[in-house]
Amino acid sequence: MRMIGKAGKAAAIAAIAALALTACGRAEPGTSSGTTGATGGFAQDSAIGVALPKKTSENWVLAEKLFNDGLNSAGFKPTVQFANNGVAEQQNQISAMIAKGAKVIIVGALDGSQLGTQLQQAKDAGATIIAYDRLLLNTANVDYYVAYDNFKVGELQGQALLDGMKAKKPSGPYNIELLAGSPDDANAKVFFDGAMKVLKPKIDDGTLKVLSGQTTFEKAVTQDWKAENAQRRMDTLLTGSYGTASLDGVLSPNDTLARAVITSVKAAGKPLPVITGQDSEEQSVKSILAGEQYSTINKDTRKLVEHAIVMVKDLQAGKTPEVNDDKSYNNTVKTVPAFLLPPVIVTAANVKTAYVDDPVLGPLTK
Amino acid sequence: MNALKKLFGGDTRQFGMIFALVALIVLFQWLTGGITLTPGNVINLFNGNSYILILAIGMVLVIIAGHIDLSVGSVAAFVGMVVAIAMREWHIPWFLAILLGLGLGALIGAWQGMWTAYVGIPAFIVTLAGMLIFRGAQQFVGQSNSIPVPREFQYIGAGYLPEIGPATGYNNLTLLLGLAGVAFVIYSEVRRRRTAKALGAEVSETWVSVLRLVLICAAILYATYLFATGRPGTSFPIPGLILAVMVLIYGFVSSKTVVGRHVYAVGGNRHAAELSGVKSKKINFLVMMNMSIIAGLAGMIFVARSTSAGPSDGTGWELDAIAAVFIGGAAVTGGVGTVIGSIIGGLVMAVLNNGLQLLSVGADWQSMIKGLVLLVAVAIDVYNKSQGRASIIGLMMKNFNRPSGAPGTPLQPDEVTSTKETISREA
Amino acid sequence: MTSHTTHTDPVILEMRSITKEFPGVKALSEVSLRVKAGEIHAICGENGAGKSTLMKVLSGVYPYGSYDGDIVYQNEVQQFKDIRASEAAGIVIIHQELALIPELSIMENIFLGNEPTKRGVINWAEARLRSTELLARVGLREDPDTAIKEIGVGKQQLVEIAKSLNKSVKILILDEPTAALNESDSQHLLDLMLGLKGKGITSIIISHKLNEIEQIADSITIIRDGKAIETLDVKADGVDEDRIIKGMVGRALESRFPDHTPKIGDVFFEVKNWNVAHPQIQDRLVCKNSNFFVRRGEIVGFAGLMGAGRTELARSVFGRSYGHFVSGKVYVDGREVTLKSVHQAIDAGLGYVTEDRKSLGLNLLDDIKTTTVSANLEKISKRSVVDTNKEFEVAEQYRKSLRTKAPSVEEGVAKLSGGNQQKVVLAKWMFTDPELLILDEPTRGIDVGAKYEIYGIIQQLANQGKGVIVISSELPELLGLSDRIYTIFEGAITGVLDKEEASQESLMKLMTSARKAA
Repeated sequence: MRMIGKAGKAAAIAAIAALALTACGRAEPGTSSGTTGATGGFAQDSAIGVALPKKTSENWVLAEKLFNDGLNSAGFKPTVQFANNGVAEQQNQISAMIAKGAKVIIVGALDGSQLGTQLQQAKDAGATIIAYDRLLLNTANVDYYVAYDNFKVGELQGQALLDGMKAKKPSGPYNIELLAGSPDDANAKVFFDGAMKVLKPKIDDGTLKVLSGQTTFEKAVTQDWKAENAQRRMDTLLTGSYGTASLDGVLSPNDTLARAVITSVKAAGKPLPVITGQDSEEQSVKSILAGEQYSTINKDTRKLVEHAIVMVKDLQAGKTPEVNDDKSYNNTVKTVPAFLLPPVIVTAANVKTAYVDDPVLGPLTK
Repeated sequence: MNALKKLFGGDTRQFGMIFALVALIVLFQWLTGGITLTPGNVINLFNGNSYILILAIGMVLVIIAGHIDLSVGSVAAFVGMVVAIAMREWHIPWFLAILLGLGLGALIGAWQGMWTAYVGIPAFIVTLAGMLIFRGAQQFVGQSNSIPVPREFQYIGAGYLPEIGPATGYNNLTLLLGLAGVAFVIYSEVRRRRTAKALGAEVSETWVSVLRLVLICAAILYATYLFATGRPGTSFPIPGLILAVMVLIYGFVSSKTVVGRHVYAVGGNRHAAELSGVKSKKINFLVMMNMSIIAGLAGMIFVARSTSAGPSDGTGWELDAIAAVFIGGAAVTGGVGTVIGSIIGGLVMAVLNNGLQLLSVGADWQSMIKGLVLLVAVAIDVYNKSQGRASIIGLMMKNFNRPSGAPGTPLQPDEVTSTKETISREA
Repeated sequence: MTSHTTHTDPVILEMRSITKEFPGVKALSEVSLRVKAGEIHAICGENGAGKSTLMKVLSGVYPYGSYDGDIVYQNEVQQFKDIRASEAAGIVIIHQELALIPELSIMENIFLGNEPTKRGVINWAEARLRSTELLARVGLREDPDTAIKEIGVGKQQLVEIAKSLNKSVKILILDEPTAALNESDSQHLLDLMLGLKGKGITSIIISHKLNEIEQIADSITIIRDGKAIETLDVKADGVDEDRIIKGMVGRALESRFPDHTPKIGDVFFEVKNWNVAHPQIQDRLVCKNSNFFVRRGEIVGFAGLMGAGRTELARSVFGRSYGHFVSGKVYVDGREVTLKSVHQAIDAGLGYVTEDRKSLGLNLLDDIKTTTVSANLEKISKRSVVDTNKEFEVAEQYRKSLRTKAPSVEEGVAKLSGGNQQKVVLAKWMFTDPELLILDEPTRGIDVGAKYEIYGIIQQLANQGKGVIVISSELPELLGLSDRIYTIFEGAITGVLDKEEASQESLMKLMTSARKAA
């Protein structure tokens, strides 16, 4: 019993000591900057978080470098991270950025609708949230959206597909197949819808035929934007529906998938159809120069990152960042003020002029 | 050094994993300039990993029984998706939705348990099939879309203990919880000593017990302090609470109940267990079924935290859970492992993840570092076993879970036992 | 009586003052051993005496430098750094657990790791030729292409020896070679060893079967507690079993069996017309129309050669834990019972101690107390929650009453010696409070002293009015222990003899003939 008394006493002392140490209790709310949006501004050397999705294309790699360089040279302390292992990782990364006291968090979401809790945390901690490239859905806690006009991208792709096929074969009907992006990327559906706005009427009037019959977004998706998934689907479509019929065009939402389609068609020994793309990846620009891929979209990552950093600087200075669309982007909870940059379609016709300013792609086209 | 040995009983290495965890926390606390042990970050740590830790609880039982479950990620995602759809499309209230999720998990578990236990197909195959089946089923029912869940449901994944009672500057419920934890630890140590004495087992010296208690209680109180002083509106997170309850329940079931004993027996030597009257098929069935129920729970917590169910939920979770269990000292061959050990293993991974993220280390490096940690942790364990020492966590937890053993009793010097083992092979 | 080696034969191997320490324990202390070329040298000692450690030092398992002392082999001090080095020198050890791969053929096993090659390609023609020759040398008439799993343990042992002959062995070390063999296979092996001796091969044998040692050994070194006690010259010293036992235990054992006056009551357990089929081959009966009964307080022996169906009979009765039940009835106290599962069998008062302690009897990961209560957890549980205090008490009680040698009941069973492991298994079954306890080879791999204690436990159970069935390959054990002995041959019970009328000869006759049941 003596022992018990001792042990109990010791523990009690430890308990009291521990609480005494912390006599002030929890920190008062509002000691952090606590404000949102544009009112206060914050220190020049604040932490800035940039949460990017999976490192699956050259553009994301480039974006990482640009964000690091741009934010560093502006005097900020950037944390730029990719979520290669899924949504859960991105959630934890955003939490870590909040813990580090990030004043602005730029989010290129892996799944725009699965970050609600962390965005709430960020807001509570007083951070401003900018959705980068992909809109954050189902949350009130997103302040700005900066992106290329993705619906426009889809429209341009659809139009390019029509133009390209017409140039090859003056009159229809044309056989086409449709590829969409990953279903967990909010933009994928926007691209597809934009393209379908142009293509749907032509499908309805019989100018375009989708022999596989797979014309809805759900059927056309490419999980995780993975080339292998697109290639596998294309292989199946070619053997299933194009044994004898010719394939005139393929709507591909980006360059990685476009090249997967080219690989698949070549493997099947078929003539290359007109294939669209997006992102201006180096390989695809070469492919366009070689006359294989028909088109890509130039959404210069440099400009997008540049503008995102401009927004951060505005917020730091206490200014309201400029937006040019405060009506279109409703995320089911609020309409997010957006700054949209215009995309440019690139085909063999304008490839030489489109990348004049680009340090990597420019030399390729000379 | 001698003092340490006395404190932990024989071999400090038995406590390797706890030391590793503490060292890791201290290291990151230093490297991140004190961010690691801030209330906000500790809360994040629990919020962001509780579903993996919960999975590890089910997984350790599966692994103790000598199986493996590769389907947990898919099952979690499927259950999460169905529950999300049930609430949005059929408008069923959140508590019924949770019951539905657990029921669905049980059903899936019964399916996998049937193949494993009664048809006799290795769990590896059954759950590999399950991984594909339920991933597909999840994408089919969800149409590869993200489905949002209502605010009340989000509480189980993103909620906190509410603020009640007088304004003390702390979160009162968290304080109570912490004090209850301290009381429980002291009570059980005292009781353990008393019964050990009554049974005539060796009892460790008083100062050893006291120092142990002080260390453990200080850790609990410090954690309580962190949780109770977070940003207003935050406190001890609900998923952490669910985890704590699960640890208590399963820790108890695995070490103190007939079923728990039978799981170890079946995993340790199925034939010997059967010849002792253990119904090994039933045990295998229960273990597999339990795993899927827990996977369903983890899936729902994740969906609640993510505010919606998405098509790629749960990818790779099985591997995270399995890694936690093996870091925590379980054996691939079955029969060895503890719930607490797996939680510590999971926490090592979680702290590592969190610390590396705070240090802005890229996902590529994180993955490499985690892989190496898994390898090294298990290698140390294997090395110790080959030296005749028992598994780090296994031995360490033995003293915690089985009170009849004198706590902190200096074990037989392991070197001696290792020789004995060698000699006893003479026959 | 100690070593007076005649220096007529050249010494091929001498181990000088070998000391092997493990941290905290001296496993061998200044052990010296002289083996003459061409002799059969036996090493005797109780479990844990250090026999295997000594052989591991010799064969390089413990490399040079990890022990003190010298190994002088063919007049040179050897420094083996691993088993390969000792094998290259012609010292081959054959372990109790055979190192054969069941799925491969005899030929493939013989040449495993030592394949005859021609420019890197295995020359199977040569391998076949050589294996036929080697098999002939060991007297094994099997096709070299037969898979190892298809031949019995006895023949597997011969394959191991053939394998060692292929490595041009000079000293062959056999660790308990006959432990798993039946009488005739054992005899064959012993004859073979004598044959090899005639061809100039030196053998070192470790065995608990003292009668065999007496039969073939030229000299015997006795080891006790890590020290070489004495070396006996079998012929010159006129050594017999009792003499060896005296050396091993350090005192003369007056009797190999404790005194016991049976108090036999009424028949309480009876099996009638018991038929069971092989688990894989449904039309092959492993138990053929067997009938037997057990009376209270009676110790019943089951005699039969290995593979006769003794274990099959016992296990099929014990909750159908072996084979496919075909027909038959079990009566307990005159009432018919159906025992479809082990659980039911335990509930009906049966217990079964397996012959294969390590793979069927014990969970080697468990400690003593967990094992002790594992077959009757319900008894110490309330609403399915195990009372760990009671568990400790129960285990402690059995540890004391059975005199299990262990520092505490928290010791892992893997760390115990064979005899103490068996006591833990016995405790486990005694705790289920069985009316009938079936013991399958209860003293296999157990040293003399522990055997005596286990016999005592068995007799004590009988004194309490329980029935005991003892299955054993060692006829002296059955004769010394049983009140009545059934003989089994090819799945059928061929006879039953009372203690008074049973002898090794009469039993052997019934064990090897298909005579109709008496």
